[in-house]
Amino acid sequence: MKKLLLFIKQAKVGDLLIIIFALGVIIYMISKSWNVPNGKYLKIEMYDNQIKFFSINQSRKQKIPGLLGNSEISIDNGKARFAKSPCSKKYCIHHGWVSKVNQTIVCLPNQIAISITDGNEIYDSINY
Amino acid sequence: MLLRNFIFFFLIFLIGCGKEDNIHHYKDYIFGTIVDIKIHGETKKKSTQISNLIFDDFQRLHSYLHPWEESLISQMNHSLSQKEKFIVDDNEIIRIIQENKELAKKSNGYFNPAIGKLIAMWGFHDEIATQSIPTSYQLESFMENIPVMENIIISDNEIISKNINFQLDLGGYAKGYALDRAKKILENNGISNALINIGGNIIAIGKRGEKNWVIGIQHPRKPTAIATIDLLPGWSIGTSGDYQRYFVVSGKRYSHLIDPTTGYPATNSQSSTIMIPPSNKSGVLSDVYSKPLFIAPKDKKINIAQKLLIDFYMVILNDGQIMISDEMNKSINWVESQDEETVTIY
Repeated sequence: MKKLLLFIKQAKVGDLLIIIFALGVIIYMISKSWNVPNGKYLKIEMYDNQIKFFSINQSRKQKIPGLLGNSEISIDNGKARFAKSPCSKKYCIHHGWVSKVNQTIVCLPNQIAISITDGNEIYDSINY
Repeated sequence: MLLRNFIFFFLIFLIGCGKEDNIHHYKDYIFGTIVDIKIHGETKKKSTQISNLIFDDFQRLHSYLHPWEESLISQMNHSLSQKEKFIVDDNEIIRIIQENKELAKKSNGYFNPAIGKLIAMWGFHDEIATQSIPTSYQLESFMENIPVMENIIISDNEIISKNINFQLDLGGYAKGYALDRAKKILENNGISNALINIGGNIIAIGKRGEKNWVIGIQHPRKPTAIATIDLLPGWSIGTSGDYQRYFVVSGKRYSHLIDPTTGYPATNSQSSTIMIPPSNKSGVLSDVYSKPLFIAPKDKKINIAQKLLIDFYMVILNDGQIMISDEMNKSINWVESQDEETVTIY
């Protein structure tokens, strides 16, 4: 605290401008990420680097093999969560539901990550 | 010291916001559709230069193979319709015609590029399909003398037609041919990772960094992907569907995929998707062979797939049922869960 007060006393106009600019950028980015829309797809990253995508607008239970065993991901019309996991602490299950774009749950012991996406990244190109 | 720490963490924050993406992306409108090129792991300058080479080549092919605008093919069609011989001093077009003869023969007639006149009768020789339903008399008289690729005879640089109805339409071949040419252009210029999409027909060159290129397969009745699939290096994927070029009259859908055995638009499928392994014809085969699988009646589709040696296929029938090969089913990732009753694995 003393250091901070000392810094404020010694700070020059240029230092303050840099700090105000940086804080402005951070606040802008955080506010932008606050108003995120609901996602369209669930992205599941598996321990063997495989990636799978599922529509989030369905009701489905999906078993995903992990390092320790199978995890079960529950998709329920617009949201998703870990329903079962072989990990000991079950943090991934306690995290609950995700529904907004970029919301992510990672199960480190079983090496599975689920995240919500808006669909732009589910494929590189579309065959029609 | 405090300011230095602050700037350090601020920079880390900004780096965290950045997205690593070493892909250069180019788009153009050729062949009456969107052409999309993605090049991975090259400089922007080189990627731009090579993608322009590809676009130039596609423009050349467009004005060379176009069935109804001014092109070598439309000139040939005009001469043949006047019962004149067409003199052509061009080996590429001779090779293309020969290849189309072979492909048509293999496909039991379900791929027939000689029926340009019939496609025009149905109003599909326009950028936007016009609602044109030929009379049954017009269709019957055309079908009595239906042209096939065998009707044209090539000797040296002379092409003659034995059928007045013969009009070559390479709409089911040109995009695949262009994909194979693009692959060569990329290879000749040392580009090893790219993805080319011409109106939904796609070829993968190499990978996207560590990962394979991932392709979404369009749902024929929804504005989303029905599934995704990894397109391995050198593989091509093609879909024929009734949802891109069609018109509706009295609630009935008429698509551009005309069944050469009946003269009418094929109605038994919504889409057929095939994947073809690497070869110098991978693009052509992915474009051409999706047609017989779409058009052939349900009970003949499997035989056609076997005859054409297509191991990876998925056909969505007009009632929404899905016929899928075992190989395709093992590779595909459904974006929405499919009922077991809907999907039949062959």
